[in-house]
Amino acid sequence: MSAAQSSWKEWVFTTDHKRIGVMYLVGSLAAFAVAGTMALLIRIEQSQLGPNLVGDAFTGGDTYNTWLYFHGAAMILAFLIPGLTGYFANYFIPLMIGANDVAFPRINAFSVWLFFVAIVLALAGFVIPDTPDIMWTGYPPYSVMTSANTSFYVFTVHLLGFSSILGAVNFLVTVVYMRAPGMGWNQLNVFVWTTVAAFVIQLIFIPVLAAAVTMLLFDKYLGTHFFDPAAGGDVLLYQNLFWFYSHPAVYVIFLPAMGVLFEVIAGMAKNRIFNYKACVYGGVWGITLLAGEVWVHHLYVAGMPDWIRVGQMVSTLLISVPVGLMVMSMWGTLYRGAITYNTAMLYAGSCLFLVLIGGLTGIPLAMTSMTVHLSETAFVHAHFHYVMAIFATFAIFSGVYYWFPKISGRMPNEKMGKLGFLINFVGVNVTFWPLFIIGIQGMPRRYWDYQMFPQFEGYHQIAFYGAVIVAVGMAITILNWLFSAIGGEKAPENPWNSASLEWTHCPSPPGPGNFPKDVELTADWTPYNYDKR
Amino acid sequence: MSTAAGHEHHWEWSWAPTAVVIGTFLLVPLGFSAYFVYEDTMLTILFTGLGTPILLAGIARWVHEGLTQKPLVAGLAATALPIFIVSEIFIFLGLFTAYWTMRLSQGGNWPPEGTPELNLLIPVIMTFFLVGSSITYHVAEMKDEAGDMAGFRKWLIITLILGTIFLGLTVYEYQHLLHIGFGPSANAFSTAFYTITGFHASHVLVGLGSFLAVLIPAFKGRSNHTLTASVGVYWHFVDVVWFFVASQIYFW
Repeated sequence: MSAAQSSWKEWVFTTDHKRIGVMYLVGSLAAFAVAGTMALLIRIEQSQLGPNLVGDAFTGGDTYNTWLYFHGAAMILAFLIPGLTGYFANYFIPLMIGANDVAFPRINAFSVWLFFVAIVLALAGFVIPDTPDIMWTGYPPYSVMTSANTSFYVFTVHLLGFSSILGAVNFLVTVVYMRAPGMGWNQLNVFVWTTVAAFVIQLIFIPVLAAAVTMLLFDKYLGTHFFDPAAGGDVLLYQNLFWFYSHPAVYVIFLPAMGVLFEVIAGMAKNRIFNYKACVYGGVWGITLLAGEVWVHHLYVAGMPDWIRVGQMVSTLLISVPVGLMVMSMWGTLYRGAITYNTAMLYAGSCLFLVLIGGLTGIPLAMTSMTVHLSETAFVHAHFHYVMAIFATFAIFSGVYYWFPKISGRMPNEKMGKLGFLINFVGVNVTFWPLFIIGIQGMPRRYWDYQMFPQFEGYHQIAFYGAVIVAVGMAITILNWLFSAIGGEKAPENPWNSASLEWTHCPSPPGPGNFPKDVELTADWTPYNYDKR
Repeated sequence: MSTAAGHEHHWEWSWAPTAVVIGTFLLVPLGFSAYFVYEDTMLTILFTGLGTPILLAGIARWVHEGLTQKPLVAGLAATALPIFIVSEIFIFLGLFTAYWTMRLSQGGNWPPEGTPELNLLIPVIMTFFLVGSSITYHVAEMKDEAGDMAGFRKWLIITLILGTIFLGLTVYEYQHLLHIGFGPSANAFSTAFYTITGFHASHVLVGLGSFLAVLIPAFKGRSNHTLTASVGVYWHFVDVVWFFVASQIYFW
């Protein structure tokens, strides 16, 4: 069988999990490129006082708001979530559990197409005259009162949500019923566990967001009163419903990102996962269990009784326990490992730093007394970029490098990879450290201009240089993937000598049906069987 | 899993999912935006006119493939549907939460001013038809399992008629309320009333559509027990939710 024979229909209309995974990868990286450009525009705008890119001071805020809207919505909903639960889950879960495909290949294709039309709808927001300007949160009353379009935002959420829910159902059934004979629960890759947990979260919490944005749509276009206090509605109702999903959504990103890192770290350190059971049953499922009990901390300053604030502070701080278990497992896996420092491992290692900074800066934000001061400042902005945005992006990059030979059959260029990593790592820190500093001093989030705080101009300039550095690093990274995929060195079957099924039992890239021979496993097999060699 | 299908060397593909997505995309997000946001009749007709046939063709193709092709592992859909229903439960919970929040924050002032007296006989009749249809569908399912295609078709048609009457009563009630000026924007109660009953009615509509997807192949003597069972689970769910809708909206 040669790849050249496959017709275009076998790609566009594919129901194969690997090709669907690649479609997710391409779509999410395209969203990443556009949303990243928005970030650059935001940093250029703030680099100096007064209007820089947005034209005049009266309409400038509107233009800036559309960038914020698209940057946030596309990064979270169209890059991080589909990159992790779309690309990685699709391509690697069936390979890791020894299945020929997912349980419902056509529903899988349905999901990826919903994702694509959702991106089209989100991008169409720029073409229509009334470009959405409601952030990725869409809070009423502004989102109901604005003259800009709200329906494209709502339907983008609907399409992506439906896509994710069906993906969740599909993969939960796949993991439960289609594991290779002999594969027990304690023999699953950590990535499979983290992704299953993420899918459980998606399944339960997305519908609530879908309900919330539907009410928004009805309030704006059908004249209902869900969020209209004058008629007996409640504005905070939206914020509660929104964060009831959108806080757990952080774990939908965080958990699979951690899973990718576990695969890379175990593979590169040639070591078993330290404390596997504590990591999975305590860490992964602990986070999942707590995920739904902390959303109110996004509303600390919105007004609530003190006893709720205190309860939320406790549950929010508790999250650090399962997260700590997982990070401890990572360090334990590295400890006395034979570590190969290639690009994938460098990204993974840097994530240990990023999650530390992001995690530590989360503690003051969880504290009710501190958060009154820090809320809505650049400190929050920097915190969640470290712990969620950059951490997850670097984890994705780590995974893309690690599995690059598997999906392309070619080795990535390590020199360019390391150069890109170095520039990216320096760039993100130069961008976001200044924001911590001015955040503590009171620089508000989301402002396009800051005439009242001229003392922060220098910090914004540094952040702007950081963003330019990141742009260079990203360009090098993405070009490196393109050139390596076309002209890279041919990859051996198992270049990292990994013990995981996707490397040991199928060719790179795998053909239809994945495995040349049916997979059967013994009781002492694990995907991390390194110390027995 | 050691089926021969897994080892055949060709890439599987199907245009059905793509067609369903594009049809839905034209019909719902674009159709809604054209009609309610931009109030453009021509665009609305264009989007719905294009979307409907593409959607129907996709569904027909999907059902055809489902009935003629062998899955990797048979019967998993009957397990997947209850998992999907977990999601459905939470979307209803989201809507009910909004209703409870609005209602409980009003204290004794409920229903708010401008709410007409609802005819409570209608939901009772509707309950009768919906529960009846759940029972008749169960009979149809048993006929299918017994291989009695004529009986299967007969009970499916009865179920379809009962469900259609239910939906017709919703339309009748809506028309009456709209006629006396009680639209979705009237007050907090109308907000919850139309959203929750409308959302439930949309599920009834999907249920009726899936009956057609089972019935049409049945006329050619084809059926799939997993599909029949899955549609049944969905329909019983729609039935159970109705008790919550009716008790919360009409009788509380």
